[in-house]
Amino acid sequence: MNEYLPFILGGIGVTLGVSLIALPMGFVLGLLLALVRIYGPRWARTIVGVYSTIMRGIPPIVLLFLLYFLMSGAINLSPFAAGSLALGIISSAYQLEILRGAFLSVSSGQMMAARAVGMTRIQAIRHILLPQALRIAIPPWSNEVANLIKDSSLVYALGVPEILRRAQTVSAATTEFFLAFGIAAMVYFLLVFFSNRMLDWVEQKTRIPAF
Amino acid sequence: MKRFLSILSLIGILALLLAACGNAEPANRWEAVKSAGKLVVGTSPDYPPFESKDATGKFEGFDVDLMNEVAKRMGVTVEWTDMPFDSLVAAVQTGKLDASISAFNYDEERAKQVDFTEAYYTAKDGFLVADTFAGTISKPEDVAAYKVGAQSGTVQADWIDANLVQAGLLPAENFLLYERVDQAALDVKAGRIDVLMGDNIPLAALAADLGGLKVAFEDTVASGEFMIILPKEEAELQAELNKAIAALQSEGFIDQLAQKWFK
Amino acid sequence: MDKPILDIIEVAKIYGGNEILKSISLQVKEGDTVVLIGPSGTGKSTLLRCINLLTRIDRGRILLGDQEITAPAVNEDKVRQQIGMVFQDFLLFNHLTALDNVMIAPIRVKKMSKAAAREKALYELERVGLKDKAGNYPGQLSGGQKQRVAIARALAMDPRIMLFDEPTSALDPELIGEVLEVMRKLALEGMTMVCVTHEMGFAREVATNIVFMEKGLIVEQGSPDKMFNHPEFPRTREFLWKITELYGKHDQDKAAG
Repeated sequence: MNEYLPFILGGIGVTLGVSLIALPMGFVLGLLLALVRIYGPRWARTIVGVYSTIMRGIPPIVLLFLLYFLMSGAINLSPFAAGSLALGIISSAYQLEILRGAFLSVSSGQMMAARAVGMTRIQAIRHILLPQALRIAIPPWSNEVANLIKDSSLVYALGVPEILRRAQTVSAATTEFFLAFGIAAMVYFLLVFFSNRMLDWVEQKTRIPAF
Repeated sequence: MKRFLSILSLIGILALLLAACGNAEPANRWEAVKSAGKLVVGTSPDYPPFESKDATGKFEGFDVDLMNEVAKRMGVTVEWTDMPFDSLVAAVQTGKLDASISAFNYDEERAKQVDFTEAYYTAKDGFLVADTFAGTISKPEDVAAYKVGAQSGTVQADWIDANLVQAGLLPAENFLLYERVDQAALDVKAGRIDVLMGDNIPLAALAADLGGLKVAFEDTVASGEFMIILPKEEAELQAELNKAIAALQSEGFIDQLAQKWFK
Repeated sequence: MDKPILDIIEVAKIYGGNEILKSISLQVKEGDTVVLIGPSGTGKSTLLRCINLLTRIDRGRILLGDQEITAPAVNEDKVRQQIGMVFQDFLLFNHLTALDNVMIAPIRVKKMSKAAAREKALYELERVGLKDKAGNYPGQLSGGQKQRVAIARALAMDPRIMLFDEPTSALDPELIGEVLEVMRKLALEGMTMVCVTHEMGFAREVATNIVFMEKGLIVEQGSPDKMFNHPEFPRTREFLWKITELYGKHDQDKAAG
């Protein structure tokens, strides 16, 4: 078992890689979509609403398959790239809802006050609403980070050997099921634990005094 | 049923998408493989000794060695892809993989989605007895008359239990399960059991090693034929794979591999 | 006669079939302090929002100087840069310090350099007496201080006209005085102001023109002397009597204090 340890732990890089691609991608996409959903023309809002419902309504593993094979029809992507992109797209729907909620919980007066001093809509969103919404979004967002790290194991279905897949392989080779999966569980736990601690720290640092 | 329907609809959607995309892939996959110089093969390395990974993450096993040699004969190299067993058929069907080797048995449902090569290996059931064995075994059920052993967890052990013990043909006290197949063979030699049912190739190897033992009968009641799967309607690729498999079979390469992995 | 800086011509605003503003015509001259009074729900705040284009009018025209700001092709953001607005509930930017609240529009809208904007912001904070609170966040300020920062924020854009929408209504009584004091000072400095307020003491002392609105119409307007002492319409007299009764007490408190 010991000699398999580096192999399992080598999956951390893959898991982190997938998460670090999917998370920012989902964030940028989710933010754009959230803005369209709130401030866009009616037809665009409807489209984004449907997008969000579909993406969140279908099990991620099915979506992952669909997106993977859909993308593979158009461009030839490695399973790693395709899996990361697909997870990013799925995550964008969740992050869209998180950010939408955050934007809506910033009082509407903030927008009015920003417009009243002559800011354009975009300036008001960029300089007044966004900084406040992002702070509000941190707690639910750290939840999504945890989910995404765990969901990153799904890319194994596309043939990306991340931690969980490696644990499976090792448990088959050594028949030490509890040890192999125990290591994987520990790694996930630590990844989620430290990412959440980091976000707690960011939340503390960016807290608005007396607000 | 529900699961089946969801998989079916998934495949339906996939087919539609692929049709809509209008693949720009070359008409002939074998030509594409040849010009790329590599064959993209998927396997689920959680099924030793057919396929697994060693401590460095390298693919190994009977299927792995075989496929590497098959590819060599075809003049290409294998690019291995690690996929869960459930994903392999879909990945082959949609052409993400050129082929998959993962101890696949022929299956009619599967044959609607992918094509099969000829069998590269037929796991045979062997019946090991002592040289001095006086009885006759002309069909698998005949062993019910003797004291029978098998390695626990094998398909043969399952078969004996389901078809002989459960059916009342073989008294339970006459069926002995062994942790290790070599221990079982030693008991045959010592006369504690009369017959050991197991995988043919490892049994033959044990008979040669231990002496005083022979494989009295072979059949395929418990195990079956293993085949490589490939995308549908790729006759050229299928022909190339079959040609290489046939050559390796006649050269005895596959038997050697079986000796190496199934002992 | 001087050309008005703000010319409101037969403006109407309809909300869901209700005519909030029926037909309002009003002129404000440079340096005037116009106080809008009237029962609540009468359209005073709506009129202010129409002036800085936060609400679109349904009929009529509004001119700021020579420009018709209600014309279709007008850049609304450019118009709002010239009009300062102070809200009843302050609406400071919650995530910014007092200084940044005042600085942000000059930087982002006027593209002023950071240093220049900072200097400007400190000057405006000093004008409202809050230079020492520059580093405080809104949550660390009292209501009266918040409103003074909001006034400084509007002033930092060098507006041609300031609109006040019930600036003291959300304040505890003891904090009203400091805000009115700032407004009084601005009026004396010659700022053109349109104020919706119930502070009759302020109106009597500072207003050049008091406008009494009711049910979407201007009933009567005139100098404080005329409106308080010789109103033409019984409704004006009745309303002013009531409102003075209601709010007069702390006017007297202020006079005493």
